[in-house]
Amino acid sequence: MPGIGPKSAQRLALHLLKRPDAEIEALANALLEAKSQVGQCRQCFHLSAEPLCSICQDMRRDRQTLCVVTDSREVIALEKTREFRGLYHVLGGVISPMDGVGPEALTIQQLVQRVAGRSPSTPQEIQGGQPSTQASNLPKIKEVILAIGPSVEGETTTLYIAQLIKPFTKVTRIAFGLPVGGDLEYADEVTLARALEGRQELE
Amino acid sequence: MYLQQLQLKQFRNYAEQTVDFCAPKTILVGDNAQGKSNVLEAIELLATLNSHRTHRDRELVQWGQAIAHIQGTVTRDAGPAELGMTFRQKARRTVAVNGQSLRRQLDGLGILNAVQFSSLDLDLVRGGPERRRAWLDGLLVQLEPVYAHVLQQYNRVLRQRNALLRAQAKRLRGEAVTGDRSTPLLPETDANTDNQALWDAQLAVAGARVIRRRSRALTLIAPHAQTWQQQMSNAQEMLQLTYCPNVPLPAEDAETKIPSQEIVQQAFLAAIRAKATAEYHQGMSLVGPHRDDISLEINGQPARQFGSQGQQRTVVLSLKLAELMTVESVIGEPPLLLLDDVLAELDLTRQDRLLSTIQDRFQTVITTTHLGAFDAGWRSGSQVLEVKEGALRSPSLS
Repeated sequence: MPGIGPKSAQRLALHLLKRPDAEIEALANALLEAKSQVGQCRQCFHLSAEPLCSICQDMRRDRQTLCVVTDSREVIALEKTREFRGLYHVLGGVISPMDGVGPEALTIQQLVQRVAGRSPSTPQEIQGGQPSTQASNLPKIKEVILAIGPSVEGETTTLYIAQLIKPFTKVTRIAFGLPVGGDLEYADEVTLARALEGRQELE
Repeated sequence: MYLQQLQLKQFRNYAEQTVDFCAPKTILVGDNAQGKSNVLEAIELLATLNSHRTHRDRELVQWGQAIAHIQGTVTRDAGPAELGMTFRQKARRTVAVNGQSLRRQLDGLGILNAVQFSSLDLDLVRGGPERRRAWLDGLLVQLEPVYAHVLQQYNRVLRQRNALLRAQAKRLRGEAVTGDRSTPLLPETDANTDNQALWDAQLAVAGARVIRRRSRALTLIAPHAQTWQQQMSNAQEMLQLTYCPNVPLPAEDAETKIPSQEIVQQAFLAAIRAKATAEYHQGMSLVGPHRDDISLEINGQPARQFGSQGQQRTVVLSLKLAELMTVESVIGEPPLLLLDDVLAELDLTRQDRLLSTIQDRFQTVITTTHLGAFDAGWRSGSQVLEVKEGALRSPSLS
């Protein structure tokens, strides 16, 4: 299991053996249930027990802004900040020919359809299937924020998506550079070079 | 810059060893396979994070042990620093500066600078282009540590692009490809062209960075190499070092001026277009700095084909001395010089030249099988250590 070495594994196993039967049964059932029920959201591909995840269902959220991430873990991290009130789109990975992952293996096509307004976007539409008359009046997506890590593969994926969706909407990407609260002198050279590249004019 | 102390723990054939360097020159003497070069390898690792002998950390760990540790205490103008590296049989290595382990290992570069000269370097002139590329890259990492990252990025893009081209070539031959979905969601041809154009662009961006930095380093080192060759040949030989990028660079007016990133990228993309068909059929990247070379000419003749044995040795020595001078002038402090079994390969005149250059300015660590192999001048004021079966000691006064 990721993040767990031999010693931690042993500690966990011994701990579990000491617990009462009922507790173990509850845990086992919880695992089974999670495995059988959690799937992907039909719209954003975030982990979800229902066809449409809680974020996509939440009508209070800004439906004109999309944040594109590679993995559900990042949705969870971004949600913790409570700063982003828009919707997400989970790609399921990055383009990496070495691992046999081409653009078609990711949810890029679905993203393009979402942005181009060719897929249903409200919970009613998705569940009912009947495109309401209101749908055409619905505000289109005004901004797509690409929040993909700055690795070679992430960079390529970012550029690939950007060129596909630029015709439909405004495309931005998250900034890379110094950690907040970090001292300039402690930043490593690569990060500093990156921060210089992404400098902004003061208004 | 002065390496004061080196500690080796379960490193190669050393169980536990501390070496105190107490003279500008240290001579390690011993029979073959006793561990002389292992000491130099440890210094090389601290300076470059690389060993020219292996890419596998587990080979650095003493037989039957799980981890190896090396640590160097370096005094620099700015103050002392402790640089440590831990290698593991089964896990990633860690690099630590002053006891703080680094999140990004490349940050450990530039604390200790060293120029290595081993008998293998005699291939610099005779060997293939990859030897000269490796030499230039090694120098660049010493000059600008961030280059290690630049090169790593380029190699990453190159591997990805090669994988893509290989998959395309396979498809061309009608073979099944892993990861190929039977019903692609995007129109097959469009997606592929877009995808490849993207990797082309990435290769051009990363490659142009490598090209410009290599070009810049060469303009720094070429004059030094020329001066040394002239001195050693009594002004008879003119050594010309020229960078030969695989991507033809547009000529610039001023001789030393390097074309902008933008211009190099354009030239790179044009070169890719020119080779597109060949790349498509061979299934690999045929354009880029991974195919660069450096031409070495003596009086207008390629040293590789026309140089005599003696001339070629002089060229290698000129390159190494030039490397020493270039590193010194860029970082502002004299780097260490590591001479691995190479003095015996040089005749007395060249040994003298080397000795008079380094004097006591460059801290030098030398390995040899017997002290008689070189001039007495080397021994005066040197610290001599005997290496035997993975242990160092001062020679017995017999």
